[in-house]
Amino acid sequence: MISFTYLEPVDIDEALATLARYGDEAKVIAGGTGLVNLMKQRLVQPTYLIGLRRLAGLSGMHYDGTLQIGALCTHRMIETSMLVRNHVPLLAETFRQVASVRIRTMATIGGALAHADPNQDPPPAFMVLDARVRLRSQQRTREVAIGEFFTGYYETVVAPNELITEVVIPSPLADSGATFVKFLPQTHDDYATVAVAAQVTLDGDRIAEARVALGAAAATPLRATAVEDALRGQVPTPTVLREAAVLVADAVDPTSDFRGSAPYKRDMAVVFVRRALAQAAVRARAGRGTA
Amino acid sequence: MANLVSIGQPAGHVEGPAKVTGRALYTADVTLPGMLWGKCLRSPFPHARLLSIDVSQARQLSGVHAVLTGVELPEVRIGRFLLDIPVLARDRVRFVGEKVVAIAAESPDIAEEALTLIDVQYEELPAVFDPLEALQEHAPRIHEHPDSYTHPPIPEAFLHGGVAEFFPSIPNVVSQVFYRHGDLGAGFAQADRVFEHTFFVPSVHQGYIEPHACVVSIEPSGKINVWLSDKTPFIARSQFAAALGVPEDRIRVNPVSIGGDFGGKGSLMDSVLCYYLAQHSGRPVKMVMTYTEELMAGNPRHAAALTLRTGVTRDGQMTARQAKLVFNCGAYGAFTPLHTVHGGVHAGGPYRVPHIEIACLRVYTNTVPAGHMRAPGAPQTIFAVESHMDMIAHELGLDPLEFRLRNVLAEGDPSPLGEHWQHIRCKETLLAAAQAARWSTEKPPHVGRGLGMYDREPGAFGPSSATLSIDADAKLTLLTGAADTGTGSYTVLQQVVAEELQVPLEAVMIIQGDTDTATFEVGAGGSRFTHTAGLATLTAARELKQALITLAAQRLGCVPEQVQLQAGHFVVADGHSLDLAMLMAWAAEQGAAPLSRTGSYLPTGPVAITCFCAQVAEVEVDPETGQVQLRKLVTAHDVGTVINPLTHQGQIEGGVVQGIGQALTEHLLVQDGAVTTLHLGDYKLPTALDIPELTTVLVETKAGPAPYAGKAVGELSNVAVPAAVANAVFDAVGVRLTELPITAERVYAGLRAQEGRQ
Amino acid sequence: MRTIRLQVNGQPVVREIPDNRLLVDFLRYDLDLTGTKEGCSVGVCGACTVLLDGQPVSSCIVLAVIVDGCEVTTIEGLAQGDRFHPLQQAFIEYGGFQCGICTPGQIMAAKALLDGNPYPSKEEIQTWMMGNLCRCTGYYKIIESIQAVAKGKVAP
Repeated sequence: MISFTYLEPVDIDEALATLARYGDEAKVIAGGTGLVNLMKQRLVQPTYLIGLRRLAGLSGMHYDGTLQIGALCTHRMIETSMLVRNHVPLLAETFRQVASVRIRTMATIGGALAHADPNQDPPPAFMVLDARVRLRSQQRTREVAIGEFFTGYYETVVAPNELITEVVIPSPLADSGATFVKFLPQTHDDYATVAVAAQVTLDGDRIAEARVALGAAAATPLRATAVEDALRGQVPTPTVLREAAVLVADAVDPTSDFRGSAPYKRDMAVVFVRRALAQAAVRARAGRGTA
Repeated sequence: MANLVSIGQPAGHVEGPAKVTGRALYTADVTLPGMLWGKCLRSPFPHARLLSIDVSQARQLSGVHAVLTGVELPEVRIGRFLLDIPVLARDRVRFVGEKVVAIAAESPDIAEEALTLIDVQYEELPAVFDPLEALQEHAPRIHEHPDSYTHPPIPEAFLHGGVAEFFPSIPNVVSQVFYRHGDLGAGFAQADRVFEHTFFVPSVHQGYIEPHACVVSIEPSGKINVWLSDKTPFIARSQFAAALGVPEDRIRVNPVSIGGDFGGKGSLMDSVLCYYLAQHSGRPVKMVMTYTEELMAGNPRHAAALTLRTGVTRDGQMTARQAKLVFNCGAYGAFTPLHTVHGGVHAGGPYRVPHIEIACLRVYTNTVPAGHMRAPGAPQTIFAVESHMDMIAHELGLDPLEFRLRNVLAEGDPSPLGEHWQHIRCKETLLAAAQAARWSTEKPPHVGRGLGMYDREPGAFGPSSATLSIDADAKLTLLTGAADTGTGSYTVLQQVVAEELQVPLEAVMIIQGDTDTATFEVGAGGSRFTHTAGLATLTAARELKQALITLAAQRLGCVPEQVQLQAGHFVVADGHSLDLAMLMAWAAEQGAAPLSRTGSYLPTGPVAITCFCAQVAEVEVDPETGQVQLRKLVTAHDVGTVINPLTHQGQIEGGVVQGIGQALTEHLLVQDGAVTTLHLGDYKLPTALDIPELTTVLVETKAGPAPYAGKAVGELSNVAVPAAVANAVFDAVGVRLTELPITAERVYAGLRAQEGRQ
Repeated sequence: MRTIRLQVNGQPVVREIPDNRLLVDFLRYDLDLTGTKEGCSVGVCGACTVLLDGQPVSSCIVLAVIVDGCEVTTIEGLAQGDRFHPLQQAFIEYGGFQCGICTPGQIMAAKALLDGNPYPSKEEIQTWMMGNLCRCTGYYKIIESIQAVAKGKVAP
């Protein structure tokens, strides 16, 4: 393991000041499930490590019509939270599928977003929910829509002197159903070959709005807007869903890797978009959101 | 057989308390005063000349105590049989990951940092990665003078009447073996149809959770103290001594628990290098491989290309088989304890094949050196054999079960290589599996069942020995030189002693001695341990029992012939008796305690008995994605007396899941000669969610070479699983995969190709 | 360097450590608690599982500085003298281990499961334990061992 100096600010102001002071020489660490491995492999070699675990006020959740999740909430907290299960069950369903329980007890939502690994599970769910990410620096606080948050392969809009403080999730619309589907053709402990989050909102028996987002399908998570546009106003029959799902093939840009070749992932995106939409539509009809 | 008390008990591992509390000692747990940590710089190229190595900056780093390059070490090659691998590369590197420089430093962090300060200049050489290409005349020669490498004579017992030679005049071939029986030409002439199929099996890693580790400490007297993850401590001592050119008693191999072996922990690995670091630094040194180093440069299973050609009559009887098996040795042959991978002998399967020729080539390539893994060569060979059987059955319009029933060995049949086995239970085992799997019942769409069979003899090489002592308190201690790899081996020995001496299991302690205190024990491997070490222990126990009877006779004032051991009491016909505790208390007064006897066993040749295994995999294939769900697996085993049903079943279950890994999820991916699956996030071992519903059927016969008529089980249940799964996939959706692993993407490609043809 | 103060197996521990010390190395080499093992070094295999404030973590990817003020439980903290924890007893009786290298991690993960969910279904057991790799057992007897404890079949 490389050498570094570990600093532990007592509050967010001190954390931001430290971050501003050390700039490129510093990296922020919360749960460390991504960063520690990168440091062990010498791929990332910060001189200063700014530990955030103790920062008060960033590991809470509350609901006031929107769900606000502090950046230091762990995946396990989100997976098990009654607030999340009641108000945005799609997130509970998504977070419990991430890696293993040991990773989920340490990995934070802020860390996951900042790391921006294109293969991780939560971002497509956040995209379908139109989540917003709150960022703070010494100068200002801002909110970025999740759709604008990821800018490239392991790249986000987070500036070097900024910290993620919260994720804000609007409540799903009434008569909506949502699901997160993770295709794991190898073992159960893996990144997805393709992952799809889908939400269907009904108006009578027609789709008022459909939202579809994919993970592990491009350099960033993406919304399949062509699919969404094709579904608006349609009755979600198997044929309608199948014909809409096909449109995702042009939207994705997967990489060939251990989890599948790019052509295979592209074909699977079509299959799983269709399956996710079907399940979301069933749940919308049942009026229960996700299980 | 008289009623057995301890034999047949599902006893928990005798070393269980140590393992469940974390007290069991593994090599990486050993810490000595003043100990340094060793790390290696490894070649990034698959084939290159070493032009220069500049370690000057590394030497200067504070906390570094030794820096070694190949030219500073004696020019010695080491290995388990063929001595072809240098301790550190000298003028050339032959695979990505070959060790080039070694450092000993105060901490692993300092050692790692020192590695970054080393500058090596390489001149890349043409490399070859595919064994079929390496055979070609124009292929680069990976070893310039292989004839200069030494090796022991090839043991007769492993030849099966065939011929074998090292380094025939074929480019890059390490060994060429032919096994023959009958007249191949005549056999094919009798056939109505001839089928030929080719299969590819990539390398997989043993996947033991404990990476290789070693600690070497040189005492002022010159005694070399070694701890290492090697399941054959006495062989390790002898290899170590030979490498250093010192007498064996200069080296002491100390007892440790081994965190998984599966064939992959029988070599010295880094320990000789560790010795030189200890020698140069004047301090004890510990080296622990990272898992990345294990995947890159361990000693994984041989990849193979296998072609089978079989003649059959129109009513489905096999008449002849020709097998060409090419195994990828990797850059060095040092990691197998034989000239070849033995599993090629199974190319006829458990069938009547009157005429057969099997050609096995083991070929050097510029890839990670391959070694032994649970039934070496067998999963590759049996994947080919059992897939081939189903492919032929399909062509003949025969049910795969029916085709096998027409050809399986029956009592009295010679094996394909002309061997004669007793107690052949092949058909019974096959039918037991089929019945438990409800073979002929209807299946839903996209669900398929597939068969696979294998047979393997209990291993018979040695010698084994063990010393059984009894003390003044009547506590029994068995001193064994065997290392514990987790198979339950110590518990089996405990049960043998408890049975013979008629004491409760808790009265028998098992101690692993070091190579100074224990008598010679060749160690675990090749499914031999219950057989040979069991018989050695049985001998020790019986001799000790006899000695105790003699002692009891003295005490009771009669002759030994009048004394019997019954239910833990020494009784005479006239009713006098003495229990073991009283006898030993008396013996102690006479100065006759403790009492001990050493038993040994050296097999004289292979045993004339084999163990059959038949498996049925039931899969469901998702036709849209190609994903294969292995829902159920039946594994039927032809067994002798099962000494410990708990540990026996544990071996079956563990083997099945290793087979599942090889079938579906594991692939040691090699690209341009380098392993690219470099950690367990990318090299996919099955998890607790990836296991099927498993049914085990035991077909018991009270016959076998091991104590109490036992057989062996360790290297059976992993072998035929890949073939059974491949056959099930074909049954489910008509896609035939002749390459492992059976991935969703490959099945998907097969399904889409099928659609294209329709 | 930094001084951390924490509880390990119910005992207070105060140590000065380098900032880059990993928790697994702190336990194994600074505290001589070698019951926790290291396998894959990347947080996947689970051999290094310990409980941090009752929650299972991969100690090979946790920095020791981060556990200041926390409670760490390792395999050494389970038995009370000669009295084994029911999970330890069950693993022996039901064959939940073979070579034993993954066993401390398996038992710690299983403890965390049963502490939070005393009567898990077989599927819940498999899902929770999915991140603890075993190469010897094939998992069947690990699951049976945990089920035995959940069903009260293991005498304390």
